[in-house]
Amino acid sequence: MPQPDPSDSRRANRGPAERAADHAAIDRLSAELLPALIAKLGATGLGELEVREGTWRVRLRRPNDGSARPQRERRSGDRSTDKAPDRGGERSSERAPRGTHHPLETTTARTESRAVATSPAVGTFQPRAEVAAGTKVRAGDRLGSVDMLGLPQEVVAPVDGSVGAGLVEAGEAVEYGQELLVIEYDPTATASTNGTGS
Amino acid sequence: MFRKVLIANRGEIALRILRACRELGVESVVAYSEADRESLPVQLADEAICIGPSDAKRSYLSVPAVISAALVTGCDAIHPGYGFLSEDEGFAEVVAAHDLTFIGPPAAVLERFASKAGTRQLLAAQGLPTIPGSEGMLRDEMHALSEAERIGYPVLIKPSAGGGGKGMRMVRTPRELESVLRVCRSEAKAAFGDDSLYLEKWLDENRHVEIQVAVDRYGHGVHLGERDCSVQRRHQKILEEAPTPALSAEARADLAQLAIRAVVAAGYENVGTLEFLVDSAGDAYFIEINCRIQVEHPVTEMLTGLDLVTTQMRIAAGEPLGFSQADVQFRGHAIEFRINAEDPDHDFRPGAGIVERYHAPGGPGVRMDSHLFPGYEVPPFYDSLLGKLIVWGPDRETAIARGKVALEELVIDGLVTNASIHQALLENETFLEGKMTTNLLDRVGSAAFLAAAARV
Repeated sequence: MPQPDPSDSRRANRGPAERAADHAAIDRLSAELLPALIAKLGATGLGELEVREGTWRVRLRRPNDGSARPQRERRSGDRSTDKAPDRGGERSSERAPRGTHHPLETTTARTESRAVATSPAVGTFQPRAEVAAGTKVRAGDRLGSVDMLGLPQEVVAPVDGSVGAGLVEAGEAVEYGQELLVIEYDPTATASTNGTGS
Repeated sequence: MFRKVLIANRGEIALRILRACRELGVESVVAYSEADRESLPVQLADEAICIGPSDAKRSYLSVPAVISAALVTGCDAIHPGYGFLSEDEGFAEVVAAHDLTFIGPPAAVLERFASKAGTRQLLAAQGLPTIPGSEGMLRDEMHALSEAERIGYPVLIKPSAGGGGKGMRMVRTPRELESVLRVCRSEAKAAFGDDSLYLEKWLDENRHVEIQVAVDRYGHGVHLGERDCSVQRRHQKILEEAPTPALSAEARADLAQLAIRAVVAAGYENVGTLEFLVDSAGDAYFIEINCRIQVEHPVTEMLTGLDLVTTQMRIAAGEPLGFSQADVQFRGHAIEFRINAEDPDHDFRPGAGIVERYHAPGGPGVRMDSHLFPGYEVPPFYDSLLGKLIVWGPDRETAIARGKVALEELVIDGLVTNASIHQALLENETFLEGKMTTNLLDRVGSAAFLAAAARV
């Protein structure tokens, strides 16, 4: 994602006008520049692409598996997950299945053509009636809720795409972070939100 | 007894409770935060459930998350361990409202003992000598100054809620009191969500002695002797032992008798600890009660052979205690060393990181309660306790000798620990003579303390 250049000392004291300019820049970056850059990185064999504009720079780094997507500049093994958004999002580290499995024995491979909506809480899962396999969704759309002691916690789509397989049944008990619904990427629509949920 | 218990805690105490459940043939579920996904209690659990993100407020401290986890996993009881929700009467109430059992005192009992000032009055009425303190909570600065004047300086500012030394300051002058009152209030607010403060008389050369009690639902109570927790750093215990070298056998027995009689009469239930300050004349003053299993409970287990966690579970399940005071025998001497991820050379700065090598000491009378394993990454989000090394010997000298051997044998690579401060303590003359007071480390500062031991 766009990050202020840390070498730019002027950022320390910014006025409202400069902040407004920042916001405009971010909007333009995500709407125009990122899709174009992703397409460019996908078309070339480059591992990394960086663009600077004013005090902003955007760096795209190709993951080891070959698909192009913007990444935040954090170690992939960084476990300071407190920075994760409150709601379910695409998770870069797959969680082990629960139950009798040894938690360290099993890890699921990441599937690159899809993202997974995860549970925002421990409780029972209720999908929305309107959400069925094939339903087109935008990132942030509500897919259902997890009832935590009578408090419904929203399950949201981590990316734009279409609803794929349901991983748990309606009314089933789920834990925090559990994978609930697969979202198949729609490659033409994902560029601006892809990867922001990790 | 319960069928299935949710363990709503982490680290060594989650492991301790897991072991107790297994011993009793009770199923258990370990509730964990995302940061503890690869922790030992989760790996060893029969069943484990992630209840929230690393931030304790949204996992271990979240009442809805913990109770929801117990309900969806079919538990009939929740063990809160220590810290987190262990003494939260509101939590205990919600647990009961969902037909679950809180393993600890019932909510009504927790409420009766929730306020420290109120508890002092309650137990003073039952004949316990209490430390002189302010009448109720401090309303404002003027009130604080007049109460301090009445009690006499030095005084200790204490938060009504919580423990662990947060929001606590000793002051010697009205000027100091004025300057730190606000800091204490904001620390207490941040740590416990409650900024009520009160004052206590500060005894300069004091010892910290606590009495362990166990009382069942039917009013049968026993004391399990005392523990000396005088070795502290900024009001945080780091080493505990029993019997206390501060009191004669007769004085110890008298204090324990006084304590158990008072709490039974005041309607206490389950395991608990009454903390006392003992002054240089050997007089004991009650300060507060801890309505939970304590970090240092193994000291008592080593001496009595009793299991305090299963005792706690049995009482919560409504079973009678099943033994009387005469059945409780005290044997030998035990010392617990709290091994923390703290750097003694850098003002005990807490650390985090990966445990590269780990070796727990062994041998006769040596017990290590720890959740470490090689490759374990200590997360930065929680307290710094890595484990507790407990040694037992037929007498204090043997316990100290075994402690030295065990500390020498302990290996925790990859993290800085406070083990060196324990080794220094075991060389310190004041400690060896059993004359330590709560200011032993703070008086000279830890760096000077370590340096002095290194010269031995």
